Amino acid sequence: MRLSWMIGGAQGLGVDTSANLFGSAVAKAGYYLYGNREYYSNIKGRHSYFNVVIGSKPYRSISEKVNILASFDAETVFQHFTSVTDFLIYDKASEIVKAETVRSMENEITEKVVKELESNGFGTSISDVIQYLNKRGVKCIPVTYVDEINTVINNLKIPPPVAGKAKNTVAIGASYALLGLKADYLRSAIKEQFGKNDLFYNMNMLAAEAGMKYAKANYNMEELQISDGRVQIDGNTLSAMGKIAGGLRFQSYYPITPASDESTYIEANQVVQTSTGGSGGVVVVQSEDELAAINMAIGSSLTGARSATATSGPGFSLMSEGISWAGMNEVPVLITYYMRGAPATGLPTRSGQADLKFALNVGHGEFPRIIIASGDHEEVFYDAIYGLNLAERYQTPVIHIIEKGLANAYSVLDMKTFSGPKIAIERGLLSEGGDGYKRFAFSENGISPRAFLGKASIFYTGDEHNEMGHITEESINRRIIYEKRLKKLETADKEIMEESMVNVYGEAENVILLWGASKGVALDAMEELNEKGVYVEVVQVRMFNPYPKEYMRKILSNKRRIIALESNYYAQGAEVLTEKTGITPTASILKWTGRPILLDELVSAIEDVVVHNKKRVVLDGGA
Amino acid sequence: MEEHNVTEFNDWCPGCGDFGILRAEDLALEELKFDYKNFVVVSGIGCSGKAPHFFSHKISGVHMLHGRALAFAAGIKLSNPSLNVLIEAGDGDTFGIGAGHFVNAGRRNIDMTLLVHDNGVYGLTKGQASPTLHRGEKTKSLPKPNINDAINPIALALSVGYTFVARGFAYDVNGTKELIKKAIQHKGMALVDVLQPCPTYNDINTNEWYRKRVYNMDINPVVDKLEEIPQKISAAITKSYEWEEKIPLGIFYQNELVPTFEERLKESMPDYMDNYPSVQKIEENGEATTVYDKLLQARKVA
Repeated sequence: MRLSWMIGGAQGLGVDTSANLFGSAVAKAGYYLYGNREYYSNIKGRHSYFNVVIGSKPYRSISEKVNILASFDAETVFQHFTSVTDFLIYDKASEIVKAETVRSMENEITEKVVKELESNGFGTSISDVIQYLNKRGVKCIPVTYVDEINTVINNLKIPPPVAGKAKNTVAIGASYALLGLKADYLRSAIKEQFGKNDLFYNMNMLAAEAGMKYAKANYNMEELQISDGRVQIDGNTLSAMGKIAGGLRFQSYYPITPASDESTYIEANQVVQTSTGGSGGVVVVQSEDELAAINMAIGSSLTGARSATATSGPGFSLMSEGISWAGMNEVPVLITYYMRGAPATGLPTRSGQADLKFALNVGHGEFPRIIIASGDHEEVFYDAIYGLNLAERYQTPVIHIIEKGLANAYSVLDMKTFSGPKIAIERGLLSEGGDGYKRFAFSENGISPRAFLGKASIFYTGDEHNEMGHITEESINRRIIYEKRLKKLETADKEIMEESMVNVYGEAENVILLWGASKGVALDAMEELNEKGVYVEVVQVRMFNPYPKEYMRKILSNKRRIIALESNYYAQGAEVLTEKTGITPTASILKWTGRPILLDELVSAIEDVVVHNKKRVVLDGGA
Repeated sequence: MEEHNVTEFNDWCPGCGDFGILRAEDLALEELKFDYKNFVVVSGIGCSGKAPHFFSHKISGVHMLHGRALAFAAGIKLSNPSLNVLIEAGDGDTFGIGAGHFVNAGRRNIDMTLLVHDNGVYGLTKGQASPTLHRGEKTKSLPKPNINDAINPIALALSVGYTFVARGFAYDVNGTKELIKKAIQHKGMALVDVLQPCPTYNDINTNEWYRKRVYNMDINPVVDKLEEIPQKISAAITKSYEWEEKIPLGIFYQNELVPTFEERLKESMPDYMDNYPSVQKIEENGEATTVYDKLLQARKVA
């Protein structure tokens, strides 16, 4: 079973809280969820929405089509009505509102809405939308929010601005009733979320009960068994949690969307306990800019503390000089790179994959930069730990790419996904220092024993240096130490199994080649296409430097089609494949609108390529 | 402090003020008798940036990027507060490319010392005007007189929260040594701005020019009670504007009543001063020891 539910509303009115509440209630009934969050770069007033996919097994994508749209303002209806297939929950009082009068809606959207309605012979108000939808078999449920909120105000003596927030919960009550699940799950979710505050608890209970009266069970979803516990968790939190679990002890950052949530989570949970009965803490510093953030983290790392920063495009640009210094001085540091819509400020709250080659080449000069890219929430958690390990093993910067889509989306997954086998910590080659210690001692594999500041007289310099870390411009030393640094990447290339750098799903003559967050939608599409008799294999690259050259050659030889699927214009990940292996993709499916690749648009795009032999499909689905 | 044979050739110009500063630092370290392993000098870029490589004493040195030494040093100090951290930077480093870090270091009041080599020019790039060169001055390699106003490092430091603010003169080795010692011993963020001639590019603020003007000021810079702060700061700022005829040297301001950043961190991490990041054990036999069950449990929905 796959059911898609969406809630929308003006930013700042609790859309996220509502989506979490709804998700938590459905999760209690034994369902898995994947929820995607879309919002403007704005605090209050702009349209934001949450799209939640409910499944009896885990799904990892959202679709263009939504079964149920829950709304309490006109803009949400106008923005999404063409996507609704089954039910629209809307505010009765908004029926007279015309699209042209919704000022928060961008002109381009208003024009599109008006055109769609008028070309189908309708006017431009919400009641016209209702008729439009009725004609297409969508059932529209009018909710008299005013009455429900007045009941809340009168019964609980709550001031109107506060009570207004209960609208969301009314919409959730109505949505939830459609599912046919026991009301108690919703009640207990409300208890968990608002139980600490009697007023909010009573208000939301009243609102949910009122909402549930608006709809009857339609989907008759059954309660499913849960063997172990389940968690509802987003990408930012998982990266933070992975870092904490992986022994991070210092994080510096400058506020930037969509990266900051990670750092604030770490700060909120900075005091840690250890399984050996000890305690500790992660120092989190909000710095004056990203120049300071990266350099603080590098400085901290020299003392032996596992250190990291988190940023997105504009901040990463500022970090490039510091990353080059860390490369030159062989400093382990993890940079979590939340990728969003670029160039410049671009689409600051939307997703993108346009910075892959920037990450691969960040910082002037040649030095090893290890690049890993997570494809789903489970990978985000374990890659954060892996990134800390790789940084220390190869004494060099590691860049962990997480796209905004994955960062802000949440999954409901089995708790054991994140608490499985023991987590390995590899601190790499260490030294106790002492007299005569040479930080950059030449070695066969390029790796020198690392002592921490405080253990010896140690020198570092951004200038070219000798084994002691003193400046020298002498040619032969330059030749040797330069090679030593780069040799570490060759060592990494030899030591890291190429099979671990790639995930391969299925086997077919047509391959979808991708990296990052589109993994989820590609796997969901693969299953859907299988049912239609169209077979594809999904190849997900997880590491770009070092690159799995031989393995990619092996798995991609004798394929009929290699279809690059990426959220950028040039299919940068595929360009890296060509550079490293000489293999060129035969087709591409691309999207750079900042919205996630949607399941239905991807299924038809793959059909276009595989069945109709198209070479390039550009996607733009989603509001 | 252990003396070691300097093997690095010191490539500063003959007569450079850097020599005086380095000598003062070496003497200060000798008198303070630190364990060399615990003394880290972080420097920026420019002639002064090479200083850590030239110390007579065995220390650790980190020669950082242009402008970033202060931020970098903060990372070192906060992860290992048992280290003594001295930042050595130029005037361009500190008040030009690194001005944002200079300002914000004041807000944090981390227990470190910043020593600025202040000579009015960018020496290593052949003498362009630095942020401390006064308007209208045309040093040797400037094509035209400088049309930017000068930053007043003392007044700036005072206004952004430095809790120890002093000025020295590079060729007053003994006086500068005393200031460095006091700055290092001060609890909190200290600035020692050291005026120094650049015999190669600054033909205005020469050794003779300074010698005619500098004098040791006689003020009481120490804040004993919180109420004194506004008065002490305004007195110090006023003093810092003496320049053309007479240039005061010494301590402008000293206040240990402001909690350091380390003390502020201790508020949320009670064992921070003993169990700081660099000494925490994060694994045993290769297995992670940090417990995160509670974090996961907090996200449990079913």
